[in-house]
Amino acid sequence: MDNNFDKILDECVDRINRGESLEQCLADYAEYAGQLEPLLRVILQTKETYSFLPSASAKNNARQRFNAELERLEQRRWEKQPLLNRIFARPVVWATVAVAIVIFIAAYFGFRPMLSPTSPGPSDVVSPVISQPSPVPDPEGNFVFLISDDVNAIEDFTSVNITIAKIGILPSGDSAEWLEFDPEIREVDLTQVKGEKTQEVWRGNVPVSQYNNVFIYVDNVSGILEETGQEVEIKLPSNKLHINKSFTISTDSVVSFVFDITVIKAGKSDQYILQPQVSDSGAQYKPVEGKGKGRKQ
Amino acid sequence: MSAEADSGKTEIRYDYEIRLTGLYEEYYDKIARYAYVHIGNKTDAEDIAGEVFLKALQSIKSYKERGIPMHAWLFRIAHNLVVDYLRKTKKHKLVPIDNVTVEANANPVDIAERNVEIEKMNRAMEQLTQEQREVLRLRFFGGLTSREAGGILNKSDGAVREMQRAAIEKLRKLMVAD
Repeated sequence: MDNNFDKILDECVDRINRGESLEQCLADYAEYAGQLEPLLRVILQTKETYSFLPSASAKNNARQRFNAELERLEQRRWEKQPLLNRIFARPVVWATVAVAIVIFIAAYFGFRPMLSPTSPGPSDVVSPVISQPSPVPDPEGNFVFLISDDVNAIEDFTSVNITIAKIGILPSGDSAEWLEFDPEIREVDLTQVKGEKTQEVWRGNVPVSQYNNVFIYVDNVSGILEETGQEVEIKLPSNKLHINKSFTISTDSVVSFVFDITVIKAGKSDQYILQPQVSDSGAQYKPVEGKGKGRKQ
Repeated sequence: MSAEADSGKTEIRYDYEIRLTGLYEEYYDKIARYAYVHIGNKTDAEDIAGEVFLKALQSIKSYKERGIPMHAWLFRIAHNLVVDYLRKTKKHKLVPIDNVTVEANANPVDIAERNVEIEKMNRAMEQLTQEQREVLRLRFFGGLTSREAGGILNKSDGAVREMQRAAIEKLRKLMVAD
């Protein structure tokens, strides 16, 4: 049997795996149709005979175990980091401390010109964030990033304030690099964005591409319980909350991506935990003509 | 090792974890199907599919970017788990008809016909070599390309294509003769 026929048959297997019909493949290789057809029918028959769709509950249970393991590994990695790294990993805290030190030194030496509007500001001098070419905010931008809260334990609180230090989106492709940017609005009270409500935190232009992962870096979270009026600890399993959700930035639409976060109450410990809600997160597309109008906030 | 190299490795591992998470939706079903055709038990096949992702996460350090693609690497893990399973249970390798789930309101004639079909297919599959069966499992149920299947079987993609064609032809002859 010639090598060429092996390749044609192989291509037809790939096409059937992708959902194409036997007829589509035969039409493209009419000269081999006589040889191909019986073999392709055997392929379809084999797939049909052993067809099996795993149950949704088994898949979800396995997914939960996978997510729990992922969180455990992330937590362990975080704990293993030296103290200095942990401090550097919290850019807002570090920036605040660094700015305070610079102001103190400047004041001490009477070096006031350093603080004048024409000189670089303190945060420019000491910012620990290595600047990558990151997108800049633009009110007419093609990408809007919003925060929302899926109603779980949020009703227990009068306020849950989170501070977002950084947003990142990952283009598709093996060698893709994260595109990171600072939110324009850093503090969001999750009790104000329950259910369908959202809070826009960034709007600007990002490169046209397919993206498949999103993260936000939460620097701080504090919640006030309605019942006691006291602040209560809300555990943050990881400062980096990430979700795997695909969306496409194109030239003909404005994409509003809602990152849904939820506060849940762990059954046994009564501990409140902040976590991303993948099922309620995702992108909405609006044609360019309609951008900026009728946006749900 | 320097702190910089350490941090670079952590970043790479973190990226691998994200990619693995991204593969879950698409490949859980395919791995479960691949395992099912091997072991003939749907519940255990689902467990194996879940276990594959946990194992992959725990051993993500051993994944090499330049080797086979990550989704093909998952099938290598699946293969090892299936082999372990079969060794422990010493169970049949093909789908038994009493394991075939049918719709609650299915026609008894349809059920009987389907059972006959499975028996026939099982008999034909048993006539193939072990490698031929594995090629068909990886290609038809795992959805891997010949090159990816070759990466797992340590064969060239040409050798996989040839084995695939021979296996399908043999299956056809056996099905017609039966």
